[in-house]
Order: sequence, then structure tokens, then C-alpha cells
Amino acid sequence: MLAIEARGLEKRYGGRLGCRPLQALAGVELRVERGAAFGFIGPNGAGKTTFVKALLGIVHPTGGAVRLLEGDPQDPRIRARVGYLPERLRLAPAWTPLEVLESVARMKGLAFDRAAALAVLEEVGIAEAARRRVGAFSKGMKQRVGLAAALVGAPELLLLDEPTDGLDPPARVMVRQLLARRLAAGATLFLNSHLLSETERICDRIGVLVGGRVVREGRLEELTAAPREWTVRFAPGAPAAALAAAGFTAREDGAWRIAADSPAALNAAIDRARAAGALLVELAREGKDLEAVLVEAMAPARGEEVAA
Amino acid sequence: MRRALTVARDLLREARARRWVLALFAATTVLLLVVLLGLRLEVVDGALAATRLFGGLLGGKIQAADVALRPLFQGVAYLVFYGGILFGILSCADFAPTLLAPGRIEHLLSLPLRRAELLLGTFLGVEALVLSGATYGGLGLTLIVWAKTGVFGWAPLAAAVLAAIAFSAIYAAMIACAVAVRSAALSAAAGGLLYLLGILASYRRILTPLFTSGGSGGVFRAITAPIPRFATIADQAAAVGAGKVLDPAALGFQLGGTLLFAAALLSAAIALLERKDF
Repeated sequence: MLAIEARGLEKRYGGRLGCRPLQALAGVELRVERGAAFGFIGPNGAGKTTFVKALLGIVHPTGGAVRLLEGDPQDPRIRARVGYLPERLRLAPAWTPLEVLESVARMKGLAFDRAAALAVLEEVGIAEAARRRVGAFSKGMKQRVGLAAALVGAPELLLLDEPTDGLDPPARVMVRQLLARRLAAGATLFLNSHLLSETERICDRIGVLVGGRVVREGRLEELTAAPREWTVRFAPGAPAAALAAAGFTAREDGAWRIAADSPAALNAAIDRARAAGALLVELAREGKDLEAVLVEAMAPARGEEVAA
Repeated sequence: MRRALTVARDLLREARARRWVLALFAATTVLLLVVLLGLRLEVVDGALAATRLFGGLLGGKIQAADVALRPLFQGVAYLVFYGGILFGILSCADFAPTLLAPGRIEHLLSLPLRRAELLLGTFLGVEALVLSGATYGGLGLTLIVWAKTGVFGWAPLAAAVLAAIAFSAIYAAMIACAVAVRSAALSAAAGGLLYLLGILASYRRILTPLFTSGGSGGVFRAITAPIPRFATIADQAAAVGAGKVLDPAALGFQLGGTLLFAAALLSAAIALLERKDF
């Protein structure tokens, strides 16, 4: 069951009156399963926000096709099942958070439940300001109201564009916990963010968009793992020469590194080390963070060599 | 339609806090209070014996009250009609540009709301606002005069309804302009220009002979041909105040043309919005 399906999605701006067209999306192929926590990352101008807007029909794709919750996003019944937080949300300054939620509920065809609305505001940590005008709110408070609006009606799919933008660290923790609860309840999360550490903490699948194309996509641990590299620690007194002969490379911190293409090769190397008298105390797969994944993914576009 | 009405309701809720809207409602209230407290109408046996404004005598002729009050109702009808439209242009110019602002429009379009419903709801909300503003002033004056003389005049109420219908064409032009350029100033300018053209179009038979050089007369006739005749409609409202019998066919033709003009412009605005990316 797919929550999001984009097939060859293209968006080209301009190109009229002799102007050079801008290719924002160049054939995006993406499938997000229901229940996933999908993080969409990429450099500035990669087309992340355009992609989310194309999913909702806010921008009209110039090519390809998109489906949300296995339906047409232009169908209001499909959009009623989606919660969206835009990148730079602007709310009616004269409204209170309760009025914002009431409006969203009515647009979604739901009866406005004041107690439920207050519970959502409580969840985003803004219940005490429920009857104050949004116009006087700080950026972080407005962001919380926007998040609460996206949660109205317990949507099956949450499309959040920079949800932690403008939030302080405790509020970010609160958002992470809130999203974890929604995911546990069965919702699908599509998180568009340039805060890679947040994405890494929240999402289990990642897509990397560069130059309007998805250049990497997969499970977080697959993308961040360096599959051939392993870190190994031996008990003090391990014979260095024997370990080097077995294929281990010494690291500055006293640990050893070994490259192994398969579990069998890894175990064979460890067996050789044990046979030489080394005692294994720790074994861990070497990994990299999302920043390294993004830089690596961007390198071909910049024509650079990526360091291993 | 239900969602369009929700948009209209939200717009009215937002209007409560707009300075322009509040100022114009406050100004109308002050005017009504001045009339309520300062105007004294002395009616004896159904005849208006004396009219005093803040103690000063206005005219001295004794007439039947309903006849004597006709010029007042006529004046009020013009005031409500032209004032109501001006109120609409000034106070409602930034509603559509605000809804179309970055950050706001994305949020609205992500909701289960069609673009046509968004514009239709905005249009209906503004129409309701203008109708309520014009009715507030017109009905207020009517009730004050009724309380002071026992004569109830329908002209101000008729003027309020006719003003709302005439304003539908003006606001359709304003909303189309806002969709095209998203500017409150240009939207108000478009509304103001149509307002003036609508008044000129009412007098096109008198004005056309003034254009003598070249084809300027033809150009004037061509430009003003599809424009609703606002002054003609205002005259109809005033005629109610003067106690004249209206020609329903002529009035229906004017109002039908105005609504058709509004529908055409609103359709163009919707078509434009449907094609836009945000």
C-alpha cells in the first residue's frame, strides 16, 4: 500500500517570452509505503518544496504523474486525509489558534470539537495561548499552530516542510515525540527538512533529491552504513603484526578496521586474529551521517571525487 | 458549496479585526448618532410641521410627512448606494491578495478545497460584508426616521441591496486583478476605475456626442457598452425613495446585466487561478 507515488514527475518554470526555463523537478521517481517515516533531503534549490507542492496540486506538474494514498491529489476527499505544514506558513493574524483549527476542521468536513482541538494544541505545547491572537505570536509559536492545523482530523499522511524551523531545542524534542506517536498510530510521515540531524532521528527511510532527481533512496541504515567497513576492538596485548597480516588496519584510537565483503569474509578475518591470540571485545559496522550521504550524493552533480 | 461558505464565514471573521472595516462601521455609527441626537422632526396629525438640526430650523413648509420625507429618503438612497460601494472598494481590496499570499495560499490549497470554491467563498464573504455595511447604514437611518415620524421608507434598504448587486461586478473585477497581480492597491484601482466607468456608462448617450474627433466616440461607446450602468441603478434606488413606480423590466435588465458581467469576470478569475502555481 503506497502513501505517495511519483512517476517521472517533472516541473519546469518559465521558458516563455524567450526566458530560460528552470527545471525544478526532472523526472522524480519515488514510492513511499504507508506507515513509513520518510525523510526528503537535498541541497537548497534541489526541488524539495516544489515536489511537496506538486504532490498536493499546489503547483501543476509539467510531466509525469503523482498519486497520494492511492488516489488523485486533486480529489478533495484525498486531501481531506492529508495534513500539510508549508515551509513558510502565514496565518490570519486576527485569528486565535482555536479559530485556525476550527476553520481547518470545517474545510475537512469535520464537526469542530473544541475539546479535541484543545488536546491537539496541548500536544504541540500551545494550549495556554489557545484564545490569543496569532498575530502576536513568535515564529516558533506560529509554527506550533501550523503543526496543530496539520494534525486536525488525525490525517493518514503528514507532509511536513521544515516542521522544526524556528523551534527551540525542547520544542524540537516535543515535535519528535509527537511525530513518533502519530507514526505509532499508523500515520505516514513525509518530512522535508534541511536539518539532517532531525531527519536522521525521526525517519527510517531517506530520499536524496539533487537537481530535481532522486539520486539516493533507501533505509536510513543502508544509506548511512559503509557496508564493507567494520570497526573491531581487541583486548590489550593483541599481536599487532599478526592482525596486520590478517588484513586489519590500526586506527589512531586503538581500534582496528577491517574491510569485508560478506559475513563469511568478516568471520574468517576474525578467526585469523583469534588464532594469533587476539581476544575480540567489540565489533561494529562503520557508518556515516546523513550529511556525508548528502555530500556524497551531490558530488557527481558538482563533478567532484568523493573521499571514501 | 459548503466549503465556499466556510471560506466566506472565515473571511467575515477576519474582517472583524480589519482597521478599514472597523473605521467605516464606526464612521457610519457616528453619522447615525448625529442624526439620532441632532435631528428633530415634528409631526402633527401626519404632517411634518418642522425639521430642526441641532436646534436650527430647516425649511418651514408644512407638508404630509411621507411626502416631505421623500427628498430625505432619496438622498439617503444615493448615499447608501454610492457610499456602500465605496465602502466595499476601500475595505475589501486586500482580502483576496491576503488569501493569495505565500504561506497562506499553500495552506488553503492543501485543504480539501477547490480553487473555484476559494474564489467563490471570498466573493460571497465580501458581498455579505458590503451588504451588511450598506444595510446597517440604510436600515439605521430608516429606523431613526421611522421612530421620529412614524414613516417607514424602503428606499435605503432597496439602495443597500442594489449597491450589493452593483458591487458584485466591481468586486469581480477586483478579485480578477488580485489573482493576476496579487496587489491590494491595484485591486482597489481596478475597482475604482470600473466604478467610474460604470457611472460614465450610465450617461453614455449624453457623453458620446462630446467625443467629436476621429473614432474616439466609437471607442468610448465600445468601452462602456459592456459596463454595468451604476448611476442608472442608483437612480432606481432613489426612485423608490421618491415614491415613483419602478419599471421592473428595465430594472431587471440592468441588474441581470450587472450579474452577468460579474459572473463573466469571476469565471475569468477562476480560470486564471486554476492555471497558477504557488
